[in-house]
Amino acid sequence: MALTGRFVALVALGALPIVLLGRTVPEALGVLGVWLGLVLALGLLDLSLAASPRSLALERDLPGRVRLGETVTSSLALTNTGRRALHGVVRDAWQPSAGAGNNRTPVAIPPGERRVVSLLLTPFRRGERRALHVTVRSIGPLGLWARQATLGAPGRIRVLPPFTARAHLPSRLTRLKELDGRTSLLVRGQGTEFDSLREYVRGDDVRSIDWRATARRNDVMVRTWRPERDRRVVIVIDTGRTSAARVDDEPRLDTAFEAALLLAALASRAGDRVDFVAWDRRVRGRVHGAQGAELLSRMVDAMALIEPELIEVDWSAVPGQVRAVTSQRALVVILTSVDAAGAATGLLSVLPELTRRHTVLVASVTDPALAEAAGERGNREQVYRAAAAERAILDIGRVSAAIRQLGADVVTGSPAAVPPALADRYIALKAAGRL
Amino acid sequence: MTAALRERPPAANAPALTPTLRVAGRRWLFWILAGAAAILVSVAAALVAGGSTAGGTPLAADNAAEAGSRALVEVLRSHGVSVVAADTLEEARSAARAAADPTVFFSDAEDYLDATRLAEMAALAPRTVLADPHFAVLQALAPEVAFGGVSGSESPAAGCDLPAAVKAGELSPGGNTLTLVGPEGPAALTGCFPADGDRFGLIERRQDDRTLTLLVDDSWLSNGSIDTFGNAALALNLLGQGDTVVWYLPTLADLADTGPPSLGELTPVWVTPTLLLLALTAVASFLWRGRRFGPLVAENLPVTVRAGETMEGRARLYARGDARLHAIDALRMGATLRLATRLGLPRTVGVDEVVLAVAEITGRTTEEVGAVLVDAIPANDRELVDLAGRLADLEHAAGRQAAPPPHGRMSP
Repeated sequence: MALTGRFVALVALGALPIVLLGRTVPEALGVLGVWLGLVLALGLLDLSLAASPRSLALERDLPGRVRLGETVTSSLALTNTGRRALHGVVRDAWQPSAGAGNNRTPVAIPPGERRVVSLLLTPFRRGERRALHVTVRSIGPLGLWARQATLGAPGRIRVLPPFTARAHLPSRLTRLKELDGRTSLLVRGQGTEFDSLREYVRGDDVRSIDWRATARRNDVMVRTWRPERDRRVVIVIDTGRTSAARVDDEPRLDTAFEAALLLAALASRAGDRVDFVAWDRRVRGRVHGAQGAELLSRMVDAMALIEPELIEVDWSAVPGQVRAVTSQRALVVILTSVDAAGAATGLLSVLPELTRRHTVLVASVTDPALAEAAGERGNREQVYRAAAAERAILDIGRVSAAIRQLGADVVTGSPAAVPPALADRYIALKAAGRL
Repeated sequence: MTAALRERPPAANAPALTPTLRVAGRRWLFWILAGAAAILVSVAAALVAGGSTAGGTPLAADNAAEAGSRALVEVLRSHGVSVVAADTLEEARSAARAAADPTVFFSDAEDYLDATRLAEMAALAPRTVLADPHFAVLQALAPEVAFGGVSGSESPAAGCDLPAAVKAGELSPGGNTLTLVGPEGPAALTGCFPADGDRFGLIERRQDDRTLTLLVDDSWLSNGSIDTFGNAALALNLLGQGDTVVWYLPTLADLADTGPPSLGELTPVWVTPTLLLLALTAVASFLWRGRRFGPLVAENLPVTVRAGETMEGRARLYARGDARLHAIDALRMGATLRLATRLGLPRTVGVDEVVLAVAEITGRTTEEVGAVLVDAIPANDRELVDLAGRLADLEHAAGRQAAPPPHGRMSP
């Protein structure tokens, strides 16, 4: 049950008869009593005439997925199964971060008919956003009192990582294509494959002239090469304690997702096979054996539900996880955080095992605030902060050096820089034929 | 926004999470019943205990509490004396007129009556008994009598030939006394129950054919002590002489209407009911705005951990411990590494070579550069800040002079 503003106004209107008709105090009190009785009676009459909010059939029509930052329409169909026309307000109870705004929709449903309430959702957090119930307030014909009921109508929508790094994809794909069909502009490594023979044009490297083919034909022929294909890329994302830290107001984990998605998009276009594992002490998400467009959609689906776990990562099991994905030589990309030497011992201890079989790339987000703080030296507090920041930068440098010494490669940068930097490093490795 | 859709087969109603009135009533039944029972029990307890509590108006004819006088009134009635309780002078007057031989009992603890009204009261009946008279009462009705102070602890004996006092013999001890002062007037005064000479517990004043009995202690008549000593005998003999006792205890209604009209009389009649209506409107609007539109939806929010916390914490540790050498060491190592990279020296180069190279490129002496990069020990915070600034300057100067480092495709 609920009151309306009109009822409150009606109660207040009682001042008029009290002033006009009440000549003595008891008489005025009597008028007050009569007015209150009248108003209450009207309210009860209105309540009894209001349609039951319980006689509603609900049906949701929801898109299953939405990228973070995009807007979708959630439709809720209400069918009035009662015998009275329902006038009222409907609230679709979404979680706050589903971004439904002030969702109070006025409805008028004649008996037996069906109306659709549409709501624009702009979720502002990744993961699964739920709607638990629908509250209906059915206002009586006089608009004084209303009946209210909450109806169970669960709904859910999966909010995927935004993949804003896809802006970098076209430029990287162009560079990837440049690798294709190229004569030996760079040193031909083990990983480049013979592609085809074609006629010599000016500008081609004379060293790539195939003399046997030239002898067979009347033209000078050159060999062309293309990057190796069908290599394995294994992306391991650390979802442990340190992935919860926010750098530039973005958790490390989300930056890792961006970088992983860009790398996966690029590598799958380049013909490589990408696998994805999110790991802390157990597998939080895993995509294995997917190709092309399916790969990305399965990856974002798996990523949507992963949240940082406040536990330490079990690095000793990571080589086993990689082995479970592929027994071939692969590019293993580890997205984690590289800070203090103490925290990195776990990672450093398993790197030799990985680098023995695979090419390993460690990518980490560093805080741009560190470099900023290291440059500010105006007063005592700032100097101590600068010293602490410098110490942190030195630690990162030391751990990076240790990782390089163990045969892996390191990519660090600010949250905006890491995804394209990782993609560039992948292209460089591919060009060098080191996959 | 709403849109009509085409007709469909009727679907099943959505399950309602809000309990119906009946279900809610059943769920709350126990508490409703428990609350009602608690209220009933407390009301019943109040009704049962109400008569015997030590409250109510002292000396009131219908008050059965310790301070009341219902016992005396009931005994008077059982002896055929009708007792009429009066709250105002008007009531007392009409009651006295209606009776053939009235006695007025009067006690005015709150001092409601003024001198004129006291005189009117005293003229109502041939016999008037005043309990616990005030100074104003004495002034108005018996100017020869004044207070005599507190008496001793022994029970006073009658000490006079007043029949009621003689029959009573002794009264309960203690309390105030009255004394006779001033010039002898036209009235005949008799003092009874004396305590040390001229102080009395009871004084009878007889003038013309009106008798005024002043009882200094009203506790003699109260339920609590009416049955001790000769209290009952005194009271019954004083009050039981006529056929009617007008039991007059003045109330607020006896106050004289004087002065300008009060605020209540000036306000229009509709103000109070309208204020009431306003309060009710406020309650209604609370219900209107306060009614929740369905339950809240809970959501787990992630912890926000800023990555810079460890850096800030370490900075505070440095500052608290005055770790100047630690701090400047960190700054120097960072600067040396950057300078070495900037000048194209290998990573494994010693600090002395960096000093030499920097001195060469900036045109400063090796001592100066060496002091900034290696040797100087800051003795206090001012020197630390100064040194840190010079370190930044040096880096800046070297950076300006040095050629920009070559950009390798593979360098991080």
